[in-house]
Amino acid sequence: MRRLLTILATLSCLSLTNCGYNAIQTNDEQVKASWSEVVNQYQRRADLVPNLVNSVKGFAQQEKDVLLGVTNARAKVGSIQATPEVLNDPAAFQKFTQAQGELSSALSRLLVVTENYPQLKSDALFKDLMAQLEGTENRITVSRNRYIKAVQEYNVGIRTFPNNLTAMVFGYKDKPNFSVDNEKEISVAPKVDFNPTPAPSK
Amino acid sequence: MKAVRTVLVALLLGWILPALVLPALALVAVPQLTGRVVDQTGTLSSGDIAQLTQTLADLERRKGSQIAVLIVPTTDGEAIEPFSLRVAEAWKIGRKKVDDGALLVVAKNDRRLRIEVGYGLEGALTDVTTKRIIDEVITPKFKSGDFAGGISDGVNKMIGLINGEKLPEPEPPHWDGQGMFGHLDALNPFLIFIVFIVSGGLRAALGRGLGALASGGFVTALAWFLWGDLSASLALGFFVGIIVLFVNFVSSGSGGWSSGGSSSSSDWSSSSSSSSDSGSFSGGGGSFGGGGASGSW
Repeated sequence: MRRLLTILATLSCLSLTNCGYNAIQTNDEQVKASWSEVVNQYQRRADLVPNLVNSVKGFAQQEKDVLLGVTNARAKVGSIQATPEVLNDPAAFQKFTQAQGELSSALSRLLVVTENYPQLKSDALFKDLMAQLEGTENRITVSRNRYIKAVQEYNVGIRTFPNNLTAMVFGYKDKPNFSVDNEKEISVAPKVDFNPTPAPSK
Repeated sequence: MKAVRTVLVALLLGWILPALVLPALALVAVPQLTGRVVDQTGTLSSGDIAQLTQTLADLERRKGSQIAVLIVPTTDGEAIEPFSLRVAEAWKIGRKKVDDGALLVVAKNDRRLRIEVGYGLEGALTDVTTKRIIDEVITPKFKSGDFAGGISDGVNKMIGLINGEKLPEPEPPHWDGQGMFGHLDALNPFLIFIVFIVSGGLRAALGRGLGALASGGFVTALAWFLWGDLSASLALGFFVGIIVLFVNFVSSGSGGWSSGGSSSSSDWSSSSSSSSDSGSFSGGGGSFGGGGASGSW
């Protein structure tokens, strides 16, 4: 009698909802697709960097450190392959997000420096590049948000009963989510300094 | 009893207090899509709104793309980019799969504006061109207080760029494009009446089985003639054929169809579907990816 009940329970589970197997597959593919979109947008930003560096060089070539910092950060980002396999390896995911975070910091340093060069800021090419960079940053934000939603749906699906049993059987793990880079650094209040560094003499 | 009262009061406070606090944390609600131009600040006169609506309706009729304009007083602390995206995702401007929608959002008291561009228009309204439209066309007029002029000039520039872009042809107004079973024609009692008569005649002529088959064939031909979609017509003909087969074998004798057919002929209404312009405006299901540009004045 018990065997019969077990068999019936298994059969009903399998037939009614496939024990969540299909749901897990759907969510997994959704996560992969959102991740590809994130990588796509980051790539778009990386492609803008060489032009940006060149246009700044035209007006502010003495800012060698900052320009070099951006170029190096971009090279590091380019050396990391971000395939969907990255999602299954938390260390690789960490490496990827860290490299992207470094490029973000380098870019913001560069933009701070350009504040000292009004001629650069009114240059048409530079203005176009800034428009493209802002648009790309927005697209990155949007795609990250969609990825976060997709991962949330996937992880919740993996962890709630009864689908967590299916996940355990087939070996599905949580997918990584974006965390705030430098959490420790930003929890310290910034120092506000109203003495601007003097612009370097031409 | 006092303990029960205390617990009840605590529970009530637990419900009420969050309700008082949460609205302060809430984001500005996405406004209702009441038309192509939604102005919550009363900046534009009704004449301006009518003219703008006409321009945008012409664009949709001609090209299929949809542009909408939204003016809100403020986004209440939220940056204009996520706000515009929320509105665009809720309104779904632009055609489904083509994603050729664009949204101009002005937060008047914040003095910020944004053009949100759908996936399909990112080739025509690139980040650079939308930034230029904002900086060179719209904000100079806004700075001098000419909101209506700024918005209409900006919209005209956007339309000019969209005109140059190769997009799928818009569907002609006769076809509603909502899918086969959304058609008013399919439910038109007059057509159903005709099908009943014909199937009765075919049953008399060919017998019950062949009659059903012939009825299915007749419906397929009729549907194909009306809509031009062969696979959908075959599906409909098959479906009707099964129904007629059932009716033929279940009903007793040849008089079964007449009582069903005669009642439906009285409420025959006009079958042609109205074009989307005369009715209310609704988004076409387009999606957005965060493209476009923002500006301030």
